[in-house]
Amino acid sequence: MAEQIRLEARPKYVSIALTSFQQAITYRITTLTNIALTFIWVFIIYYLWKAAFNEKQMIQGFTWDDMRTYVVLAYGINALIGWRISSNMMQTIRTGEILRDLTRPLNYCGSQLSIATGWAIVEGIISLILTIIVGMVFIGIQTPASVSAGLLFVLAVVLGFFTKALIVFSVSLLTFWTLNGVGISWSREAVINILSGTIIPLTMLPGWLQAVANVAPMRGIVNTPILLYLGKVEGWEAAKLLGLSAAWLVAMIFFANWAWQTAFNRVEIQGG
Amino acid sequence: MTIITATDLSKRFKRARKDPGFKGALKHLVKPVFKEFTAVDSVDFSIEEGESVAYVGPNGAGKSTTVKLLTGILVPTSGEVTVCGIHPFENRQENARNIGVVFGQRTQLWWDIPVIESLRMLGDIYSVPTDQFKRTFDELVDVLELTPLLNVPARQLSLGQRMRCDLAASLMHDPKILYLDEPTIGLDVSVKARFREFIKYMHKERGLTAMLTSHDIGDIQELCPRMIMIDKGQIIYDGAFAEVTRRFGWEQKVLVTLSDDTPAAASAISVSLPAHASAAQDSPTALTVRFDSRLSTSGEIIRDLATSLPIADISIEETSAESIIRNLYEGSLSFSESTNG
Repeated sequence: MAEQIRLEARPKYVSIALTSFQQAITYRITTLTNIALTFIWVFIIYYLWKAAFNEKQMIQGFTWDDMRTYVVLAYGINALIGWRISSNMMQTIRTGEILRDLTRPLNYCGSQLSIATGWAIVEGIISLILTIIVGMVFIGIQTPASVSAGLLFVLAVVLGFFTKALIVFSVSLLTFWTLNGVGISWSREAVINILSGTIIPLTMLPGWLQAVANVAPMRGIVNTPILLYLGKVEGWEAAKLLGLSAAWLVAMIFFANWAWQTAFNRVEIQGG
Repeated sequence: MTIITATDLSKRFKRARKDPGFKGALKHLVKPVFKEFTAVDSVDFSIEEGESVAYVGPNGAGKSTTVKLLTGILVPTSGEVTVCGIHPFENRQENARNIGVVFGQRTQLWWDIPVIESLRMLGDIYSVPTDQFKRTFDELVDVLELTPLLNVPARQLSLGQRMRCDLAASLMHDPKILYLDEPTIGLDVSVKARFREFIKYMHKERGLTAMLTSHDIGDIQELCPRMIMIDKGQIIYDGAFAEVTRRFGWEQKVLVTLSDDTPAAASAISVSLPAHASAAQDSPTALTVRFDSRLSTSGEIIRDLATSLPIADISIEETSAESIIRNLYEGSLSFSESTNG
C-alpha cells in the first residue's frame, strides 16, 4: 500500500547512507564470504608470528599476546572498507552512472562517503562478529587495555574509516583518465596495507619507511587505533596521535573535494 | 517567461588522435597529439516556461552535450547558458533543484532496493517538506499506477514498469523543467502511449516545461509543438513541428531503377522534366527524382521518365514527417535552400 511510505524527512546524506545500508544487506552472503576470506590471511600471518615469537619474548616492543591481538584487529578494521566500495565508486565513473548523482543537489564526495558508510555498517557488523569469534575463540586476543582505551579505539577507528574512504575516493577519481581501475586498486591497497601497519606494525618497518609512515595519513587507519586499544600509547601521546588522525581527515576532506573539482572540470562524462 | 536561454553556446572537447597499430599506440604514449572536436557550435535558443520542446538530431549531433550543459554537468567552452535565471555549471546543486532528468537508457533507481525506498530517499535528497512530499507521492503513484510496483526492487521491473518508476523518481521534488533523454527507447506501443499521456497530464496540471531528445517521431508529434534540430553542433531548425511537414510535405520522390547502365541518365532526363523537378544519379542504374507535388502529379513525372529511359522498376516515397526528418539527418534536404514552401 502506498500509505506505508515513511513520512518523516531525514537529512539527505543520512538517508543515502541508510539506503546504501539496505542495499548492502541484500548482498550479505557475498559480503560475509569476502570478509571471511580476509580472515584466512589472519591465520597465515598468525602462524608466521607464532614462529617468530618461538625465538623471542618481545619483538620491537610487542609481546606475543600483543601481536596476535594486533593481527586480528588489523584485518578486522581494514575489512571495513572492502573492495566493493572502491569498485562501486570506479564503476559509477566508468559507466557514466555518475550522471545520476550529478543531476542532484549533492556534493559528490559527500554522497560517496554516505554510500561507503552504509556498506561499512554491514561489513563492520560482520567483521566485528568474525573478529570476536576468530579472535576470542581461536586466537585468544586481549580485551582493550582499559575502558578509556576502548573508547579511544572506537574514536580512532571512526576517524580512520573516513580517512581511508577519502583516500579510496581520491584515488578512484583517476578512473576519469584511465577508465580502468584494477591496477589502480591493487597499487592503492598495497600502499595502504604497508603504510597503515596492516601487514606489520610500523615500528618494524625499515627506518626511512617508518619515518614516512609515522606521519602519513594511512597510519590513522589501522596503526593508531590498535596502539590505543593495546594501551601502547596513553595520555599526551594518545592525544597527539588522535590529533594527527583528525588533522589528516580534515586535510583529506579538502584534498578529495579539490581533486574532484579538478577531475570534474577536466574530463568529459562517459556515454550519451 | 523565459526559463532556458543559450547564447552563443559552444562546447569543444580535446580528443586524443592515435595512429593505428602498435607504432601509433607507442607514438601516442611518447607524444600524444590532441585534436579539437566541437560538439556544440555557437548555439542560440530560448525556451519559455511551460513549453514542450523536442530537441532532435542524428546520433553524435550534440544533443546529449547540450543537455549536459543545461544540467550543469559540463562547463561551456564559450557562450552562456541560463536555466531559471542561474548558470547551471557554477551552481550545479541549486540548478539541480529546478530540474528533473530521465535517461531512457539508465535508471536512477537503486538497483537492489524496493522502489518506494528510492522515492523516499529522493524526497530526502531534495529536502522536500513532508506535506508536499506526501501530496506529490500520492499523485504520482495514482497517475502512474505504481502501487503494485512500490515494494519491488528495481532490478525486477520490466522496462516499461521501470520507466514509470523513473518518471516518478525524476518528479518527486516537483521540478520546473524535465529533461527527457530518449525516454521511450525500447518501450512497447502501449507503454509509449501511456508515457505520452502522462507527460501531457504533467504539462496541463503543473505547467511543466519539458525538453525531449528522441528519435521517435511519435513522441515529437504528440508532445512537442516546437522542434529544435541540431546537426554537427549547429542548430539547423528551430520552429513549429507542424511547419516542417508544411514546408517539406510538398516534396515527393520517385526512385527509379534502370535496366541498363546509363551513367548520364540524370543529365539526359533533366531536359524533359519540368523545372521544379530535379534528378540525381545514385549509381549507373539508379536515379532519384524529386519534384513539387503541388505542380506535377507523380504520374506525369513517371511518364516523362518512361519515354526516355530504360526503366526496370519504380517506387514512390511517401512524405511522412519521419521521412522528412530522415532526409534532414542525411543532409538531402536543407532548410535554407527551401524557401518556396
